[in-house]
Amino acid sequence: MQDAAAHQVTLAFSDGIEHALVVAPGSNVLEAGLAAGLPLLHQCRSGSCSTCLATLVEGEASTLPGCSSSLLASERAAGQRLLCVTGAQGDCRFALPYDSKVGENRAVEGHAFINAAEQVAVDVMRLELELAEDCWFDFRPGQFIQIKVPGTDQTRSYSIASTPAELPKIELLIRLLPGGVMSEWLLGHAAVDTVIQISGPYGAFFLQDSGKAPLVMIAGGTGLAPMMAMIDVIRSKSGRKPPIHLSFGCQSAEGLFHLEDVDLRRLWLPALTVTTSIDRGPAPDGVRIGNPVEAVGADGPLDPATVAYLCGPPGMIEAARGHLQALGVAPGNIHAEQFVAS
Amino acid sequence: MNEATPVRRRSTVRINTTSDQRINDSKTQSQYQPYKDAAWGFINHWYPALFSEELPEDKVEGIQIAGIPIVLRRVDGKIFALKDQCLHRGVRLSAKPMCFNKSTITCWYHGFTFDLADGNLSTIVANPDDPLVGTTGITSYPVEEVAGMIFVFVREDDFPLEDVPPLSADLPIRFPENSEKFPHPLWPAAPSLYDEGAVALGLHRTGQSNWRIACENGFDNAHILVHMDNTIVHALNWVLPLGILPDHEEPITLIEDEGGPKGMLQWLFTDRWKPVLENEQLGLKIDSLNGRFYRTSVVMPGVLLVENWPEEHIAQYEWYVPITDDTYEYWEVMVKVCPTDQDKAAFKHRFDRVFMPLCLRGFNDCDLYAREAMEEFYADGTGWDAEQLVSTDISPITWRKLASRWNRGIAKPGKGVPGATKTSSIRMRRLAEGKAPGYFVQKIEDVNNY
Repeated sequence: MQDAAAHQVTLAFSDGIEHALVVAPGSNVLEAGLAAGLPLLHQCRSGSCSTCLATLVEGEASTLPGCSSSLLASERAAGQRLLCVTGAQGDCRFALPYDSKVGENRAVEGHAFINAAEQVAVDVMRLELELAEDCWFDFRPGQFIQIKVPGTDQTRSYSIASTPAELPKIELLIRLLPGGVMSEWLLGHAAVDTVIQISGPYGAFFLQDSGKAPLVMIAGGTGLAPMMAMIDVIRSKSGRKPPIHLSFGCQSAEGLFHLEDVDLRRLWLPALTVTTSIDRGPAPDGVRIGNPVEAVGADGPLDPATVAYLCGPPGMIEAARGHLQALGVAPGNIHAEQFVAS
Repeated sequence: MNEATPVRRRSTVRINTTSDQRINDSKTQSQYQPYKDAAWGFINHWYPALFSEELPEDKVEGIQIAGIPIVLRRVDGKIFALKDQCLHRGVRLSAKPMCFNKSTITCWYHGFTFDLADGNLSTIVANPDDPLVGTTGITSYPVEEVAGMIFVFVREDDFPLEDVPPLSADLPIRFPENSEKFPHPLWPAAPSLYDEGAVALGLHRTGQSNWRIACENGFDNAHILVHMDNTIVHALNWVLPLGILPDHEEPITLIEDEGGPKGMLQWLFTDRWKPVLENEQLGLKIDSLNGRFYRTSVVMPGVLLVENWPEEHIAQYEWYVPITDDTYEYWEVMVKVCPTDQDKAAFKHRFDRVFMPLCLRGFNDCDLYAREAMEEFYADGTGWDAEQLVSTDISPITWRKLASRWNRGIAKPGKGVPGATKTSSIRMRRLAEGKAPGYFVQKIEDVNNY
């Protein structure tokens, strides 16, 4: 059998850094790369999320037996591969759409002070932290940190709503759940100057360099947090800004929050358009009734180069993926972070 | 046993709390936070750099805009602009210009030689085979020359050249093409730098205040009080009100057309603004005879147009070009269309004898010192939070909001340039020699005697 031998695979990052590694028969390229210590982005490891997308530029590589990939036939034909389900059938070479420094933001552990904790909607808390002297890290807009719930051994993950430039301050938007350990602690004990344990940054969901391609951001509830960070980073970048459509949705008017902050971004960034939706009425002025997914593409077709960022509950992510792909957005251009209630 | 290290806060600075009983409460202020952040100016915009006559053939000059050092050289009539900071060790190329041919400029210290057209390192005088050659360079800046003024697009190093807008996107709106939108029944269409036969006469000089303080002065309708004793006002018996108050729901109209300049126009001398001619309590009354109608508009990145000023068929243009966070280059330019050489000579004659001494000096000197009197309140940044603005300040507030929206970038504090460190010994020595911090590079004039 031709696959009986190990093959040499070269992975080329977008900044010109290349790494060669040996991939054993039956193994996937992602596994081999991570074992070799390469900063490869990945998330689901099961061929669906497209985080580990790469382009095969030389040689032969295809989906391993027993695995399936969410790529369309046309995308596979164009050389796209999901490394987590791809094996090498010969020596081959992949181009990665991100630079070798992406994986450099190694997670650290440390402390942070609470600067402010305010309830901004019926089920949302805005938490402002400040890194203590013992703690510093850098992160990409879209990434998250973990907080140890004081008095327990449980941790919770929250996307950062502020930008790296604002460090040591960090803003989080936290969904309050009845009976949730973090929610109980926040409502009962969180006070200014309280010290908490954090670690981070984590996550492969962050703003990619996609040039002038139009951006679509779909945020469900506190899924708004990473979008705020990304929008603020785009705002501070040099050059003409890409058009951005932020579609933000909550369940009801009482659940809406951060609207003034979103309005400020709209004021400061002419390229930004915002749609705000609630699932059920009554809706305040400027807010539509419906879900935030449908609001995308409602005014006309999307540019085929559109890059999408999704953050919200699993149902929303799934619906958004289907909707965006039906509108012609390439699966490899859809980046998603789903949160689970806890 | 082990005692945990105490967890401490970083040291912080507390900012004074402020009253909400004012027109710029904290909510309004947050709308123009980007403007408050722009101490070193807005970047990725067109700014005037020099008058054409200041840069004759083959001359090299060094200036600084928004914390960026820029060297200009004119070759065969064409002007090139590069970052005035050698990539090797930061020497200013313009301090002792060295050009061996028409297409390059060489750093006079270690011989790094840059292509004028794109800033690429094309050779090193004593090291032509160095592997660095051809692989790196210094930032280049697009240049335009119009009506005797040289404009430079001051960009961040990574601002793509293909994104550079035309100069007209950073110049005031033109007339008569905007006369329908912004009628001006009391005066003829204002001349523009782009008009055929336009002649721009003026001066530029360094003011010792933040550029925003300077810029806001230009269109602040309450500031005309500072001009009440100016010679030209009395010599020509001008009616210059004590102040002008907004009296309409839209006293200011935004200029936001796609592709065009972004700014605002004030409907002065219409029913939208009410001139104040008397203050009984103080016994003040303006009873001069000659109406002096004018109108101000301002566009990004801080370009003032005063229509019908100081007389018919002339417009005054001003720029407040940030040099550092506490110095700006004040440009005062009068534009008139002069179809013939005779018209040109007549304009120059009147400019030299009347407008230069009485307007650009006398009248505008007043603005210069008024801005400097305001500077220290704002110098540490807290003035923007502590100021108590009132209803006439609709003009600066509108400007701050639109500037927050339409700027193409906020300049980062200057690094490795004059004014970045306020207490360097070289700065102190120059002060002791009587040279105030300014706009131009100080050149090494005599190579054997310093």
